[in-house]
Amino acid sequence: MDKFKILLVGLSVLAWSCTDLEVEELDSVVVDDVSGEFSGVNPGENLTSAYVSTANSVGSQDNTYALMEVSSDAQLVPTRGTDWGDNGVWRTLHQHTWDATHQFNLNAWNNQNSNVFALNQIIAPESEADPQQLAEAKFLRALNVFIIMDLWGQVPFRDPNDGVDTDPRVLSRQEAVTLIEEDLSNTTIENLPNIGPGDDSEILRASQASAHFLRAKFYLNKHILLGNPSGSAPDNADMDRVIEAVDAVTAAGFSLEEDYFEIFDPAPDNESIFTLERDAGGRIWNTLHYNHNEIDGNAGGGWNGFCTTAEFYSIFEGDANSNTPGSNQETRRGFVPEEGYGYGFLVGQQYGYDGQELSTRNGEPLAFKSELPGLAGNSEATGIRVLKYHPDNGGAFPGRQILFRYADAVLMKAEANLWKGNTGEALQLVNDLRDIRGASPLASLDAQEMLDERGREMYIEFWRRQDQIRFGTFTQPWSYKDNTEEFRVLFPIPSLAISTNPNLEQNPGY
Amino acid sequence: MRHFLLIMTSVFWLSFGSLYAQDRTITGTVTDSKTGEGLPGVNVLVVGTSNGATTDFDGKFKLSISGDVDLKFSYIGYKSQTIDVGSRSVVDVKLQEDVEQLSEVVVVGYGQVEAKDATGAVERVTAKEFNGGVIASPEQLIQGKSAGVQITSASGEPGAGVNIRIRGTSSVRNGNNPLFVVDGIPLTGDDVTAGGLDVGSGTSSPRNPLNFLNPNDIESMDILKDASATAIYGARGANGVVLITTKSGKGLQNNISYNTSVSVASAANRFDLLDREEYLGNLSEYGADPNELDFGADTDWQDEITRTAISHKHDISYANGYETGSYRVSAGYENQQGVIENSAMERLNARLNFNQSFLNDKLNFSTQITLSRINDVAPPITNNAGFEGDLLGAAYIANPTFPADASSQVGGLRNPLSMLEYNLDEAQTDRALINLSLDYDITEELNFRINGGFDNANSVRNQAASPELLAGNILDNGRGGIATIESSSNLFEALLTFDKKIGEGNLNILGGYSYQEFNRSGNTLQGFGFNTNDMNQMISDLESAGGAVRGAISGDYQQFGYDPGNDQFFVNRLEEGSEDLGARPTMPVEKLIENRFATVDELQSFFGRVNYNVLDKYLFTATIRADGSTRFGGENKYGVFPSAAFAWRVSDESFIPDSFHNLKFRLGYGVTGNQEIPHNLHQRRQNYGDIGFNDGGDIIRPGLTTVAFDNPDLRWEETAMTNVGIDFGFLNGRLSGTFDLYRKNTTDLLIQVTSAQPAPQPFTWFNLPADVVNQGIELSMDYVIIDNADFSWNFGFNVAYNKNQVNDYDGSIDTGEISGQGLTGAFAQRITGGQPLFAYYLRDFAGYNENGIAEYNDGDFQQFLGFSPIPLYNTGINTTFNYKNWDLSVYMNGQFGHYIYNNTANAFFTAGAYGNGRNVTADVLESDEAPINAPDVSTRFLEKGDFLRLQNLSLGYNFDLSGNTFVKNLRMYANAQNLFVLTSYSGLDPEVNVNKSLNGVPSLGIDYTSFPRPRTLTVGLNVTF
Repeated sequence: MDKFKILLVGLSVLAWSCTDLEVEELDSVVVDDVSGEFSGVNPGENLTSAYVSTANSVGSQDNTYALMEVSSDAQLVPTRGTDWGDNGVWRTLHQHTWDATHQFNLNAWNNQNSNVFALNQIIAPESEADPQQLAEAKFLRALNVFIIMDLWGQVPFRDPNDGVDTDPRVLSRQEAVTLIEEDLSNTTIENLPNIGPGDDSEILRASQASAHFLRAKFYLNKHILLGNPSGSAPDNADMDRVIEAVDAVTAAGFSLEEDYFEIFDPAPDNESIFTLERDAGGRIWNTLHYNHNEIDGNAGGGWNGFCTTAEFYSIFEGDANSNTPGSNQETRRGFVPEEGYGYGFLVGQQYGYDGQELSTRNGEPLAFKSELPGLAGNSEATGIRVLKYHPDNGGAFPGRQILFRYADAVLMKAEANLWKGNTGEALQLVNDLRDIRGASPLASLDAQEMLDERGREMYIEFWRRQDQIRFGTFTQPWSYKDNTEEFRVLFPIPSLAISTNPNLEQNPGY
Repeated sequence: MRHFLLIMTSVFWLSFGSLYAQDRTITGTVTDSKTGEGLPGVNVLVVGTSNGATTDFDGKFKLSISGDVDLKFSYIGYKSQTIDVGSRSVVDVKLQEDVEQLSEVVVVGYGQVEAKDATGAVERVTAKEFNGGVIASPEQLIQGKSAGVQITSASGEPGAGVNIRIRGTSSVRNGNNPLFVVDGIPLTGDDVTAGGLDVGSGTSSPRNPLNFLNPNDIESMDILKDASATAIYGARGANGVVLITTKSGKGLQNNISYNTSVSVASAANRFDLLDREEYLGNLSEYGADPNELDFGADTDWQDEITRTAISHKHDISYANGYETGSYRVSAGYENQQGVIENSAMERLNARLNFNQSFLNDKLNFSTQITLSRINDVAPPITNNAGFEGDLLGAAYIANPTFPADASSQVGGLRNPLSMLEYNLDEAQTDRALINLSLDYDITEELNFRINGGFDNANSVRNQAASPELLAGNILDNGRGGIATIESSSNLFEALLTFDKKIGEGNLNILGGYSYQEFNRSGNTLQGFGFNTNDMNQMISDLESAGGAVRGAISGDYQQFGYDPGNDQFFVNRLEEGSEDLGARPTMPVEKLIENRFATVDELQSFFGRVNYNVLDKYLFTATIRADGSTRFGGENKYGVFPSAAFAWRVSDESFIPDSFHNLKFRLGYGVTGNQEIPHNLHQRRQNYGDIGFNDGGDIIRPGLTTVAFDNPDLRWEETAMTNVGIDFGFLNGRLSGTFDLYRKNTTDLLIQVTSAQPAPQPFTWFNLPADVVNQGIELSMDYVIIDNADFSWNFGFNVAYNKNQVNDYDGSIDTGEISGQGLTGAFAQRITGGQPLFAYYLRDFAGYNENGIAEYNDGDFQQFLGFSPIPLYNTGINTTFNYKNWDLSVYMNGQFGHYIYNNTANAFFTAGAYGNGRNVTADVLESDEAPINAPDVSTRFLEKGDFLRLQNLSLGYNFDLSGNTFVKNLRMYANAQNLFVLTSYSGLDPEVNVNKSLNGVPSLGIDYTSFPRPRTLTVGLNVTF
């Protein structure tokens, strides 16, 4: 009998020790309820995260930024020997020969859409966000959906309750535009804080002024988002909304700054409306040379990549072959001093902080040449460099980047007036700005001049591609770019995205 | 569940039941029929009972019996004998040696069987066949020893990870190694040390978690290859199972053994880089100015960072066996130096193996305890350094005219000596593995057994980059990190076995329950901005700063970090959210962040096995296991894994001539699983996102982000395998071998795929609806060519062919990230249907045009060109000579039919790199490449990976000690490892696998600044008292 006792003990040990295998979480919180339904997220902490990820997705030098700016006529990244070849990602962007497997296109798609999902979770009623949190989340969602519409013309949408096996439905252009409009409703704006210029930490979050600014951007481009061809004219009613929104920004106290390059310093100023908590190193070192290595905190120097074309440089007034101080250039073209690193457009011999002539790594003079042999086969010194953020203004890695700037708002108002036919008012606004920037007044203003003025003020600030599409020049040829395919105004839906969601249809032409 | 120690103790006490009375005592001596020497450790068993004894050192035994019984004498390597005792009181037996060792046992899951009765593809490698020399981990002991088992060390670094593929590659995750079971405890496949933090030049791989076992404590390793053998391990059996049995004291008497060895190693190969004259002499042709690049010195950077490494080890053990039990205690110390400066592994370990039987062998208790400490020192060598390179990359590209002086640093290029001097990376890992088991014969047929296993590892990895290092934002700031991991697993098992002769057959039934809990927790503390250049001081400053902040925080938290915006620390708590600490504590580090993690997973299993053996000729085995795991949710918690096998001992049939010493057919089929995915991917969960320093050294305060998404349909990956095998032996066993044919089909691959956006994360785990098929042939043969008293000569080889292909998959997944300047976003491998796993996806390089620019057949795009990184053939060759007291053995191994992508050459050895002033190999000057050519990923850098290596050559002498009562055994030996490699590969070594995963999908066969493999010479001494 003893033996059976033992057996019984053994079996009871078994019976007692069986577990139900319920997983226990020690370093994360489960946001599903017991039945597996979404039960809401912590809105405040998720909002913090949404700001960080929005800043990261538009603030790096690649991905979304590269699609928005390197695909335009203002910037290119030529291959220099072995450097910046990067499997052709940079060359195809400038040449408009990208395809649906382009890495930045995929990353940008993933980043912007994933931001939208995170915001959907905050906006969901289960998360019980307070009115301001809800308004901030809607502002950020409007911004991200606006970028997705602008780049791809299609917005997939996943409800917070949908699981991983649900194929996101795709919003029509009209639905997406309505979503942006509703997210930027008057209620949203009323629930946002009223923040004026000058407070550096507050403009990292959404304000009434930043929502008005985004409204202006949105209405200025709305006809394009709805599928009208590039270069087509907008509705006057939308242009009135642009003007109204810009006036609201002005009413919040923002104004133009005298010192152009100091705006890009992280210190408070009157022009910055909405900034990103993302260091501006990728806007400085992407263009400077390896031997620009005298700055504390970045002993390795620059990455010697991004530059612009002689063609784009020529839209500024001033000596075409030199940008030394006193070359009759306007403020915004910057200058190359004989001691220290230059501002704006860096052409010709570059100097260090002791006045020494800098050289390339192979010992050639570091004199930036405006002409390139093409997109490949470049030396270290070809291409004019473009520098707005500067290590003398906030160190090697200034702590923030500007996304919404008041001068942009002024130019949007001028453009809206121009589209409406109020050319005189538009010209006045442009000339007021030019006066502050030390440029001679324009005698007249047409569409090309309006686009050029935006280029002169807003170069490498994220919006060039959008501006070119609005004025119909994005699909025209320019330096080192022959392709004029009209369908390039939209990027392809990444092939990986299409294979994961059968509801998506490839954009025409790809 | 948490109290099973207590239960085990109570069962232990309960089982002291009645004692059996015995009639009389018999004694005897068991000797070798050839030499007449006493055989220690022979099992003597009263047939039909569990009553038995073991012979002592002189071959003597003593046993109590009642009446007239049959005694069975069995001993490994000898033919068993059964003797009718009759009325004798003294029974002397001469055992005959069995050349083929058919009576050898093999360990299978939850038990062991005689090799002749095995139905699955199981191979045993015992200590005397192990590879010698400097061995860091157990896998290296069996490299090349078994057909179809491909073992690749990631690099030549001491303690580096080891990649093992049994019968090809079938999974697309990092959890692709077989399951290791040490004395019955399945080990987790997780790393027990932290991977390297990125303090400036990329991240590095963790060390091999199996390093904690002293190779000298291992008795045997059994490799279960086919599913009929591994299915008893269910959800963890798909990649094969390796069962490690440690040495015990059985059959030894007062045995003291001491082993020591000293090794000298140097890098087996080096790149032919340009020297000062060659470097300066050709620069102008590549558009660079030699005057600007001449720093005056003449430095061989490879010499500067490499060294002659001296390693030594000492092992001592005491073993004793007696009538009712045995024990063995051992201690070891080993110090392995790497051939790169600042690389070393130090291992201290102690071990106990204790077996005791009670109640006339009816109750057995055994325990194995391993305690170890490993101290690792690593140089800054990483997997994914960019254009500036890690230590090795920097040394290859360093300007040879630059002075070999750590304090000389210029921007743009890294000084390798500064990297050595101003980086610190040390890890300490303590691990304890304890196994307790108790079994009791309830009746003659029925046995009950419980096991408890405890595995606990604590690891701390300290890393610092001194403010003197010119790199990124480190100069004048300094960075440091302390990564701590505590991992533990607790195992409880209960097994019931029933064994009975039924008619002409024997039936053996096993039923079992197993529960294993896996805990893993740790934290990562990082600092920026130090007040000292002394890196040890930096680490202790970081510790005290971390302590100061932790002290100011009450309650549980996930993260803290310093927010320079308001000069305060923030604390992120999962439940309560984020808050600010009142005041900044006084501390010696400017900025600080910490992140903590903790997970617990469980695995609960029910399993059974039936062996039925008819006439010793027809052998049937069937197993089933149901595994339940917290890694899966919803309806998919449990997976069921069945198998069945049949073997026919043809040589025992009367119609088979006697010339067939052995002939056995085996047929097996089984389904096994794989569950090696991260913790809880089936529920939507959030925690605080990545925290780190940005380029400016600032910390962006993270919020809550979604880390996993609802995924209740996620389930096991399944592998179904069919195996057909033949074991054969001729010439009275002198010629023997095994031939196997298998087909392995893996479905529902667990893989990380791109999410359908909008989604919380860019990647989602998913069961890929594809088939990965591995089919192959394995042959191993041994031939005893000469077998005389004075001279014997053995020759053996194994060869395996495996073909891998992905079927029924339309999508594609890219991997094999290629690093280097101008190579951001580049990759070299793609997984898709119709191709082998990790097939190369490259531009087809066609040479250079007249301008020196690369041209590609079919155009400038990547495509499949029929190249695979998976070897088609693996082979091992061994031969052993014995002449009187001398023995000589040679082992070679090789892999054939695969290709290696040489990322090192792609990143560094190009005309453009030279034109930019970096050093290159001499062949770059001979090519037509122009310095402005972009070296895109193409077949230009793809090379055949075929190699044959003289892995191990060993010469030993056993001293004649007959008549010496003090020393029983004395052996001296010399051993050479990696004497030569026959290969056409232009990199340092064709046996290479650097982790170049992309988006969490691993790569295979890519070489990128791999740690040079050493050539090692060892002299050693084994002495037994």
